[in-house]
Amino acid sequence: MSLNAKQNLKYAGLKLIELIATLFVVSFLTFAAFSIIPGDTAQIILGPNATPAQLDRLRAELGIDQPLPVRYITWVAGAFTGNLGNSTSFKVPVIDLIAQRLPVTLGMSILALVMVIVVSYPLSVFSARRPGHLGDTVCSILGHVLFAVPPFVLSLLLIVLCSGVLHIFTMGKYAPPEKGFGNYIASLALPAFAIALPKIAMTFKFMRSAIIEQNASEYVKTERSHGLSEARILLRHVLPNSNVSSITIITLVLSDILGGSLIVEQVFNLPGLGRLLLTAIDRRDFPLLSGMIFYLALITVILYFASDILSSLSDPRIRIK
Amino acid sequence: MTRHTHIVKVHHLSLAFPTRHDPDPKPVLKDLDFGIRDGEILGLIGNSGSGKTMTAMAIAGLLPEGAVITGGSIKFAGEDLTAMKPRRRRQMLGSNIGVIFQEPSTALDPLMKIGTNLDEILLTHGMKDKKERRERVLNMLGTCGFTEPEEIYSRYPHQLSGGQRQRVLIAGAALLEPRLLICDEPTSSLDTVTTIQILSLLKDICHKMHMTVLFISHDLSAVRNFCDRVMVMREGEIVDRDLAEDMLLHPRSGYTAELLTNARLDTRMLGLERATVDYSASPVLVAKDITARYDNSSADVLKGTCFEIYPREILGLIGSSGCGKTTLVKSLLGLMPHGGTIDCDNRQTGAVFQDPVSCLNPAHSVEWHLLEPLRAAGVKLNKQERINRATQALQDVGLSADYLSRRPRQLSGGQRQRIAIAMSLMLEPSLIVADEPFSSLDSSSAAEILKLLTDINRERGTSFLLITHNIHIVRQICPRVIVMDGGTVCEEGLTSEVLAAPKSDAARRLLEAEATLHGENFSE
Repeated sequence: MSLNAKQNLKYAGLKLIELIATLFVVSFLTFAAFSIIPGDTAQIILGPNATPAQLDRLRAELGIDQPLPVRYITWVAGAFTGNLGNSTSFKVPVIDLIAQRLPVTLGMSILALVMVIVVSYPLSVFSARRPGHLGDTVCSILGHVLFAVPPFVLSLLLIVLCSGVLHIFTMGKYAPPEKGFGNYIASLALPAFAIALPKIAMTFKFMRSAIIEQNASEYVKTERSHGLSEARILLRHVLPNSNVSSITIITLVLSDILGGSLIVEQVFNLPGLGRLLLTAIDRRDFPLLSGMIFYLALITVILYFASDILSSLSDPRIRIK
Repeated sequence: MTRHTHIVKVHHLSLAFPTRHDPDPKPVLKDLDFGIRDGEILGLIGNSGSGKTMTAMAIAGLLPEGAVITGGSIKFAGEDLTAMKPRRRRQMLGSNIGVIFQEPSTALDPLMKIGTNLDEILLTHGMKDKKERRERVLNMLGTCGFTEPEEIYSRYPHQLSGGQRQRVLIAGAALLEPRLLICDEPTSSLDTVTTIQILSLLKDICHKMHMTVLFISHDLSAVRNFCDRVMVMREGEIVDRDLAEDMLLHPRSGYTAELLTNARLDTRMLGLERATVDYSASPVLVAKDITARYDNSSADVLKGTCFEIYPREILGLIGSSGCGKTTLVKSLLGLMPHGGTIDCDNRQTGAVFQDPVSCLNPAHSVEWHLLEPLRAAGVKLNKQERINRATQALQDVGLSADYLSRRPRQLSGGQRQRIAIAMSLMLEPSLIVADEPFSSLDSSSAAEILKLLTDINRERGTSFLLITHNIHIVRQICPRVIVMDGGTVCEEGLTSEVLAAPKSDAARRLLEAEATLHGENFSE
C-alpha cells in the first residue's frame, strides 16, 4: 500500500519538475520571439511623427531601454506573478483583459469537452458491442464525415440552421455568467457544439477501437469464466482499461478544442480569447500578445501535467520508473 | 465392468462456424461422444487446431462469437447445458465450472489488485459480507501456496511472476469450489520447475476439494504424470481414449503413436542428424564477461557471462525463468547495451524467436519478409533475382513458392516459424541464435522445426545457440551445454556429462524437475 503511494508521489514530483522546466523554456521562447521581431515598439505606438525625446520617454516607460537579460527577468517575474504590464492598444493591464475574456473561451471549451465525452462514450460502447453491424457501420460513416468537415464550415451550417431556420439561437449575443448561468450556457451551447462535433467523431473512433481491443483480451475471457455479467465486465474492466489510453486522446482533444475555439469565436462573433488574440496581432500589441501566448502555453502545459498524473493514477504500471 | 457416475456427458456434439456465405461449413467438432467421470482427471491431447480448446469452451459455455452447436447435447450433473438460459449458464461459471487459461501474463486485469479481482468473484456469486469475502480470498491464496496472502492481496498483476499469476488464476477458478475445473494448457508458457509446482498444486487442491478436472495439453508427459485417463483428438474427432499409462505404452491408433514419437523427439525415429564438431577450430563466437542491466533497475541481470561457440556446433543453453537467458540473447544480437566483449565472426548473426505470431508483420507478404534482411543489409537485386532468392529461401525451409504471396495470418504456427528461420538464413550467417523456437508450437510442428534446424546445421555447417527449457531436446541434439543461473554461466560441459552428473545446484534443480515431469519413459 505505502509502496504504491510512495511511487505515486515520486512520479508526481518528477512530473512537476518537468512542468516547471517546460514553463521556463516556453517563457524564454516567447520572450525571445518578440525580442527578435524587427521594428521599434515605441515607434509603432507613437507613429512616424514622434520626436526622439518622446520615443526615449516611452522606451523608459515600457522598460525596453534595459539590456535583454534584465528585461527577460522582469518579464518572467511578471508572468509568474500575474503582472504582464499594460496593453499598448487598450491601455489597461494585460491580465485584466485576459481575465475578462477567459469565461467565454473556457466556458465554451469545457462545454465542448462535456459534449464530447457524453456523446462519444455511449456511442463507442454501443458500436464496439457488435463491430461490423448496421448500427456500428452507420456510426462509423457519420464519424468519418464529421471528422472531415472543418469546424468553421460546421459553424456556418449550424448558424444557418439554428438561427435562420429554427430561430432557437441569436447570433453574437453573449450573456456573461454573472447575468444568470442558464443564459451563459445557452449563449455558448451552439459554438461549443460546432467545436465538439469533429472531436466527438475523433474520440468515438478511438474509443471504439480501444473497447474492441480490450474486449478481445485474455483477462476478459477470465472474468467471463468467473461468471461476471457482461455489464459488469464492461464497467469494471473494459472501460477502465480503455480509459488508460483515452486520457491521452482526451488531452489532445481538449488542447485542440482550445485552439479550435479561436476560429469558432470569430465566426460566432463572441468576445473570447481568440478575438483578443487576433486584435493583438492586428494592432501589434506586443505586451498583450506575449502575455496571451504565455498563458495559453501555461494552460496547455498544465493540461498535459494533469493528463500524466491521471494516467499514472489509473494505470499502476506507469508508476514504475 | 464398474459403472461410473459422470459429471459431464457429451452426447454426439457437433460444432461449426457457419456464415452467411457458407451456411453449412466443415464442422470443427464432429459427433463427439464422451463422459467425464466424477472425481477423475481427464486429459485431452492433440495438435493445435484439433478442437481440444473448442470442446472445453463448449462445456464451459465460453465459445467464441460465431461458433454454433449444430447437434448433440452436453449434460452437466444431469442438466442440459446447451438448452440452458444464458443467465443460469453464467451462474454456473465460477460456482460449478472453473476455467484456467494458458497465458497467465495477460489473463488478469492489469489495473486491478489481485484481492479486488478475486473479491469480485465472490461478490458476483452473492456473498454479501465484505469481511467474509476477504477471509475467504486470503484462505484460498494460502491454499494456493502463497506464504504471505495479505501481501499478494494488495499487489497488482505486473508485480507477480508468471508462476505466481497462474496460482492466482487457480485461486480464482477454485474459489467457489466448483465441481469441474477446466485447465486449458495451464503450463505451456511456464518453465519446467514452475510447471511442476503448478501441476502438484492442481493435483493437491483437486484432491482436497474433490474437483473433477478436464486437462488440455499438448505436453504428453505432463498429461501422463497428471491424468487418470487420456483422450486424443484430431481434426475435431476423438481418435483414441484410454487410461494414461496404458495409452502411452500401447497406443491404439496410429495417430497417437505418431504424436508420441514426435513428443519423444527420438533422434533415430525422426531421422535427425547433426554436424560433427571440430573443437580444435577457432570459435565463431567468444563472449567474455558480459554484463547488462535494464534502465529502471539497479541490479545487473547478467553478471559476467562467459562462453564460446564453435563452428558447426549446436550449443544448448538451459536455465529456469529469470536466469538471464533472454537478456543474453538481446546482448548477443546487439539489441541492448552491455559490458564485456563479444568476439564474433564478421558475418551477421541470425535469430529465431519464441513466438512466430508476433515476429512477423501482419501487413506484409512472405516475400517481403524474406527480402527484408537483404534490404537491411543494402543488397541491391532486380525483380527476377529477388523472386529467385525468396523462392530458394522457401525451398530451403521446406515450403513451396506458392507461399511467396501469403500473409502471416494465412500460415500455421509451424509455417510461420519456418518463415522466421528462412529470414534468419537469408544473409547466410555462421551462427543462429534460437530462443525457445519450439515452445509455442505443438509437438508435431516442434518435431518438424527441430528436424529443419538439424538439417541446416548438417548441410550448411551453421552453428546454433539453442535456448530451450526442454532438456530432452538438448540431450538429443546438443553435444555441449551451458547452464545459466542468476546471470552467470554456472556450469558448462559435454551434455552427456552435465546431464548425468550435474555439479551446480541450478542444473540439479532443472534435472529433478525434468525427471518428475517426464519420468523415466522419455530418457534413453
